Amino acid sequence: MTAPTEDRRRVSARVGVLQGAVIVGFAALAICFWVLQVVQTDKFVEMANSNYQRTLPLRAPRGVLYDRNGRVLVENRDSFTISIDRESAKHLPETAATVSKLLGLDLAEVMDIIDRHVRAEPVYRPIVIVQDATAEQVFRLRSRKKELPEILIEEVPTRRYPSEALAAHLFGYVGLASDKQLGDGINQGSIVGQQGVELAYNKLLMGRDGVRRVVVNSVGREIGPALEEIPPAEGNRVQLTIDYDIQKAVEDAFKAASDAHLTDAGAAVILDPRTGEVLAFTSQPAFDPNAFASGVDRATWASLNKDELLPLNNRALQGRYSPGSTFKMAVGLAALEEGAITPDFTVFCGGSASFYGRSFKCWKKGGHGRVDLRHAIEQSCDVFFYTVANMIGVDKIHKWATLLGLGEMSGIDLPHELSGLVPSTEWKQRVKGEKWYAGETISVGIGQGAVAVTPVEMAVYAATLANGGTRITPHVIKAVDEGKGFEPVPAPPPHSQVALDPQKVQAIRDGMWMVVNAGGTGGRARIEGHDVAGKTGTSQVISNDGRAAAVRSGKDLRDNGWFVFFAPRDNPEIAGIVFLEHGMHGPNAASVAHHILDTFFAKKDKRPLPPPPTVEMMRFDFSDSFPLPPRKPRQPAPAQPERTVAVR
Amino acid sequence: MVGAIVALCLIGLAQIYSTTAPVGGGASSIFFTQIWAILLGLVALAVALSIDYRSLADKSHFLYIAVVAALIGVLIFGVVRGGSRRWIDLGPMNLQPSEFAKAALALALAKFFGDTRRGTIARGDFMIAAVITAVPLLLIAQQPDLGTAVTLVPVLFAAAFVAGMSMRIFGILAVVALLAAPIAWKFALQDYQKERISTFVNPSQDARGAGYQQIQARITVGSGGPFGKGFKGGTQGQLRFLPVAHNDFIFSAWAEEHGFVGVVVALGLYLFVILRSLEASRLAKDRLGAYLVLGVLASFTFQVLYNITMSAGLAPVKGLTLPLMSYGGSSMIATLAGFGLILNVRMRRFTN
Repeated sequence: MTAPTEDRRRVSARVGVLQGAVIVGFAALAICFWVLQVVQTDKFVEMANSNYQRTLPLRAPRGVLYDRNGRVLVENRDSFTISIDRESAKHLPETAATVSKLLGLDLAEVMDIIDRHVRAEPVYRPIVIVQDATAEQVFRLRSRKKELPEILIEEVPTRRYPSEALAAHLFGYVGLASDKQLGDGINQGSIVGQQGVELAYNKLLMGRDGVRRVVVNSVGREIGPALEEIPPAEGNRVQLTIDYDIQKAVEDAFKAASDAHLTDAGAAVILDPRTGEVLAFTSQPAFDPNAFASGVDRATWASLNKDELLPLNNRALQGRYSPGSTFKMAVGLAALEEGAITPDFTVFCGGSASFYGRSFKCWKKGGHGRVDLRHAIEQSCDVFFYTVANMIGVDKIHKWATLLGLGEMSGIDLPHELSGLVPSTEWKQRVKGEKWYAGETISVGIGQGAVAVTPVEMAVYAATLANGGTRITPHVIKAVDEGKGFEPVPAPPPHSQVALDPQKVQAIRDGMWMVVNAGGTGGRARIEGHDVAGKTGTSQVISNDGRAAAVRSGKDLRDNGWFVFFAPRDNPEIAGIVFLEHGMHGPNAASVAHHILDTFFAKKDKRPLPPPPTVEMMRFDFSDSFPLPPRKPRQPAPAQPERTVAVR
Repeated sequence: MVGAIVALCLIGLAQIYSTTAPVGGGASSIFFTQIWAILLGLVALAVALSIDYRSLADKSHFLYIAVVAALIGVLIFGVVRGGSRRWIDLGPMNLQPSEFAKAALALALAKFFGDTRRGTIARGDFMIAAVITAVPLLLIAQQPDLGTAVTLVPVLFAAAFVAGMSMRIFGILAVVALLAAPIAWKFALQDYQKERISTFVNPSQDARGAGYQQIQARITVGSGGPFGKGFKGGTQGQLRFLPVAHNDFIFSAWAEEHGFVGVVVALGLYLFVILRSLEASRLAKDRLGAYLVLGVLASFTFQVLYNITMSAGLAPVKGLTLPLMSYGGSSMIATLAGFGLILNVRMRRFTN
């Protein structure tokens, strides 16, 4: 066989070309690998880690809340959360269809949840489909776990509040942290307090979430033991100043009042006048904080917001109402302390009196005759207080009402408090740019006109009258256990302190005692063997002229009822306020207060606690009622809560 | 050279052991199958070595016809796995005739080009060679196994190139290929094949579907770093984020566990084997030997380069194994037999 040299040379040359090409190819490959493995290692290592490591948050239980006697108020329970891990879900709509069929959910709703999260959140965060799943749902999913590796079932501690929405506005509720709340230990997905004590003391209660890092394979199944596990740290236990029994008495009494159709709304704040500790706190109607504990669903949220009684409004802190006759003690005390009158000063009431060319009526048509301060409080004589208010002027009233706690925020340790208003010449100049007319002072004397107060301010007012001039700062926290047992939290300092002349303030207290124990309007709050002092107040929500027209509109125009009280008269231990929105008048509020005081003293005297009041015990006096609008189903509310309009 | 080949087989074996070992420990059945394949392959290598390639080439038409018959047989009696009909069930093992088609084609083409007495190859010769190539190619493409089918093309071109086909014909063919590409895109390719290619251009458009493997391959390789995560220490291969880590993506798994250093070692071994083989073709006593070596080597080199590029996520994903390292009995035996032919040529360069 011949192999021409020319052939051989050609073969040799062409093989050389191929050799060169192969070397270049391998060199290029080596460079590619060098770039990937040496230059960009960090990037890919991170990607690989996020592939096989899954970080699962372990939610810390929030701190348990106790009442002042160590009774558990708010605790935690285990609930199950079902979510979809987007990273291991191959096709979200398909997963959604399977899951919603399995769990009996509406597919459109599930897709809606997914759509909202897909756009707004990073892909590694699982999308929660069901909060607080039922045992059956969990069982069904567990039995199909192998086919659905992208479904996560997590056991999370969830808040449990007492039933019947007890003290809902005090406790508040928890919810997912909003974007604004992030930082300072709060991460996306954290559950934080959104209202009430839960919000005010969130830092103490929240605890620290733990973390579990696990290895997962490509289909999302966990493999082997956890890489790392930081157990969650439970939130601190917190003791509140609340007394469960008193709180329950408040709620029971409000329920009876509601069942008796006296009122559907209102508030009560009960304090220890010596310290400012809040013994009970309610705003009615309330909501069930349990509904928020694992994320409120849209329907519940919508119905809470549409309810015309505005159950989400915290009336105790934010409702501003005309105080009516309960304001008279502030006017009387101002006159006494300013030296304008003595307790024996008298005024003749003929049923009306004329000031600045205008006639002002007393509520009692025939008049009270000649009354001194004590009897003027007992009988709630309007003419007496018109006269006294006119003598000292609005600024003195403003000064003393403020010292007693009205028209300024109480500083209670709960969020979103609003301030009431006690007018002054300076206020009118500043806000309205107008001069104060002396004639306007007359209605201020009976707590009408521009005067508006919140229930919590009124409670402070009662406490300051009770303790003789110390405007305590109401507070709900008593002690905290930061791991070493309960340690008392020092009470906040009083807002202000004036030494009221004991004789002068005693005259006021006597008048209030007579309201309850003599011929006054607060007789329903009487407790045998205990000197209860109190004062009713009835404030109209609309003028007499406007009423006739407004009745036809179907709005509830019944008067608001107040009862401000403390007991015992000498060395008081309890002070507070009951406010009934559209409760028609003060005596009805006194009925509610009776059960609260009865419970308080039963506890003190170690007698059995009184049973919850019945409807019959509440429904007592309709003497000043006017034709009621028919009761009808609740309807969407107007955008603004209706304002109290005082009579002139 | 045999040492380098065996070293590559052992590297592949180790990586198969690492990625397929069951959770409880021990070795997988796949691992043992591969050991048998290597041993059988070495036997095939010895057999291919022992018979003079010239007498083999004389009988190449029988081998060629046998392979074509087997390929037709596959289409009729083959075992379907993963949507394609590639295997013939032979009881204890499955045979993949397409793997043997490469060596048979190399022999047939070498014989054909070697027999032409002229120094250069005329257009007519090339057309005949093209037909010889096209028959098994189309049969394999019918399975469908486009990857393996395409590896036959370099066999034709490499042999033709060295056999002295004029560069003008290569130029014309390149232009025709360029013009044909859009037409092929429109008519010849299946939807899933189009998808793979378009996904390669932009893998993130379908990070969960077709782009997944490519992205994961890149992550696997990149996260290996300079020195790797250690034997059995890879997360991507071990936890199955990387699909078929013992097969198509074995090089990615190797790169993950042994890093850039391991990559350079493996690349070096392949390069050594290829360059030594090219050397054999240059030294071959006759044209037949030279063409034979090139024919065998062409499909091997093409597959190695393509697979490694794909392993780094730099080429569209295609079911092409990495010769010598990937799991696969037929491929191993056929490849080793091919190297038997190359060594055969090398060994007989002095004999007459």
